[in-house]
Amino acid sequence: MSKKVVAMILAGGKGTRLEALTKKTAKPAVSFAAKYRIIDFPLSNCANSGINTIGVLTQYESTDLDAYVGNGEKWGLNGVHSLMTSLAPRQTEQGANWYKGTADAITQNIDFLDDNNPDYVLILSGDHIYKTLYNDMIDLHEESGADATISVIEVDPAEASRFGIMAVDKNDRIVEFQEKPKQPKSNLASMGVYVFTWKTLRKYLVADSKDPKSEHDFGNNIIPNMLNNKLKLQAYRFKGYWRDVGTLASLHQANMDIALDNRLLDLYDGSRSTRIYTEDTYSVPQYIGPQGSITRSIANQGSVILGKVDCCVISSDAVIEENALCTKCVIMAGARVKVGAKVNNAIIAPNVVVEENARINLKSDKVVLIAKGGKK
Amino acid sequence: MNKVLGICNLHDTPSLGLLTQNRPLGALSFLSRYGLMDFTLSNYSNSEIDQILILTEKNATAVLSHTQQGNVWINNTKVGFLRIAVNEKMLEAPKFNTDIANMEAHRSILEETKPDYIIVAPTFFLMSFDFRKLIEFHEEQGAQITCLYTTTTRGKKEYLNCDSLEIANNHVITNSKANTGETNKQNISLETFIFTRQAFEEVMAMSHQVSSMYGFRKMISFCINHRRMPVHAYKFEGYVVPILSGEDYVNRSFDLLSYENRQKLFLEDWPIYTTTHNTPPALYGKNAKVSNSFVANGAIIKGSVENSIISRDVVIEDGAEIKNCILLSRTFISKDTKMEYVLCDKDVKVMETKSLKGTKNKVLIIKQGDLV
Repeated sequence: MSKKVVAMILAGGKGTRLEALTKKTAKPAVSFAAKYRIIDFPLSNCANSGINTIGVLTQYESTDLDAYVGNGEKWGLNGVHSLMTSLAPRQTEQGANWYKGTADAITQNIDFLDDNNPDYVLILSGDHIYKTLYNDMIDLHEESGADATISVIEVDPAEASRFGIMAVDKNDRIVEFQEKPKQPKSNLASMGVYVFTWKTLRKYLVADSKDPKSEHDFGNNIIPNMLNNKLKLQAYRFKGYWRDVGTLASLHQANMDIALDNRLLDLYDGSRSTRIYTEDTYSVPQYIGPQGSITRSIANQGSVILGKVDCCVISSDAVIEENALCTKCVIMAGARVKVGAKVNNAIIAPNVVVEENARINLKSDKVVLIAKGGKK
Repeated sequence: MNKVLGICNLHDTPSLGLLTQNRPLGALSFLSRYGLMDFTLSNYSNSEIDQILILTEKNATAVLSHTQQGNVWINNTKVGFLRIAVNEKMLEAPKFNTDIANMEAHRSILEETKPDYIIVAPTFFLMSFDFRKLIEFHEEQGAQITCLYTTTTRGKKEYLNCDSLEIANNHVITNSKANTGETNKQNISLETFIFTRQAFEEVMAMSHQVSSMYGFRKMISFCINHRRMPVHAYKFEGYVVPILSGEDYVNRSFDLLSYENRQKLFLEDWPIYTTTHNTPPALYGKNAKVSNSFVANGAIIKGSVENSIISRDVVIEDGAEIKNCILLSRTFISKDTKMEYVLCDKDVKVMETKSLKGTKNKVLIIKQGDLV
């Protein structure tokens, strides 16, 4: 990559719709696919794309997330030409301010970007599940001479009103942006992944910060302002698996996708170029007992399966005791399903214990969260 | 606090045939995700010994590819270190390529770190051991050298050729000779020694007058039997898994499938660290049938697996039946293959041959990278 790119990952949201899972944890730090945390995906994508300067914007329950992000070593981002840091709101000469919106979070860190003086800024969301290399998108941005390039994905037209929709011309130049429109003009949804030419974005951020009516949001303010001023905004069509895991149901479904069909998001491709990296645990290997059974599932090291599981995602050090049965469950780290318990269609939060012979959600299609339980 | 240099000794190890042909014993995969040396290195790490030197006879590449930068076992990476020493001058003269000669070739490390004590420990006795207890005993006794040992009641069958010790009431070893299997009840040296800096230097110097082919183990037996220096003995009360032969490797691996045995080796507050390989969780297909087995991350299992140990990135295709097998990293088992009592070394691909069988007493070993 010839031009310098700095990635800024928006990871400050609370994720209220994940209920108790985000009571003490920021959404990007929530467990995913037995071994990972959600933020591992954008961070690994950056690492694999050769983007080595990254700011992670944290706010809600930032301590754990900041500690997890650390110096980027888990993603190989601690090398000699790398810089990775988390950027939580801080006190400055102008006073102390929370991040008031996605754009404000960047504005408050203009110094960080000025110091690194990038050609382009890649804005990412810390809570999306997908595997990609950003290089093609950045190349498109450069070649098309756009001021901003927005990654879009085709969605079911019937669902389009749930997204921010981009109307484009025949060259995929964006002509209109509609936030959750009743009558969508296209089926191209914004993924919340943007490449901006830094000098241009900087001007818009400064202007936006002075606008008392602004919500300081990329989707609601910065992008519409750029469009109104006839700047060149290009759509980049993303092909592949991409999920926003903002709700319990979508988090559960994305986990099931990985367990049931690894072609959707292949974590197992032999090539090392698109691996997802994460923190490793020092658990013993996973063990399946003499009476155990595991099908259509993924399981991480340290898990112990003495009962039966089908269509499950089992994190490290989770234990499924004898005669227990779990179907369509996402079982997070250290959780324990005791002897004879039966659980269906559930997310079991970390370290929660499902009591002996419990019966949970057996006949329901609706995903439940089990966030409280007895003693280990 | 005393300064301790921890040496992980890959010299003077038993041969495991094909399995140790191209790698030191310490770099051999164990229980699907470890290398044998992880136990020794983790014991140092958990004992807060942050300066670790690996002495290897050869195959430095295999050692390095396992340890990587060593950060996994080191607490402070500025103060601490993990280094690998190979004695290049002696590569062509294996009989003289001893741990002592290797240490002498790298004695600058002693000048640099100025340790009060030096511990030398092998990688073929797996255990969870707190070296601080050994240091404490060594200091209490005012000893120059202390040897860690275990007791066995199965000496006629186990620990053959290991050093059998006679120990006086004052904890001083009075005799050391190879276990030829004469008696069941014996004290067995775990070939783990702690030296004061002075005693360490003296033993190295003494080896010049005794034999250039002697390593630490033989020199210490010499010191004991010829009364050249008192050697104390400290008993390890915990669980030891000796890996002294190919049979040991196979049988001990299977023994650890039992939860009871596993609990004795892996202690709650004593993690065994190993290097990360960024492998995804293990994936099980819709017809997978798995019981009483260890499975490492990155494995894809579509067939059936029973009483087996499946390492990283192994693929077992539909209809394959794997029973009492140990499959090392990246083994590929094609559709409908039946295997029993087979050990596949790394990168083996079982494609055309649809049935492979060893026996309980003679496990069939397939060489690294073979296509069958």
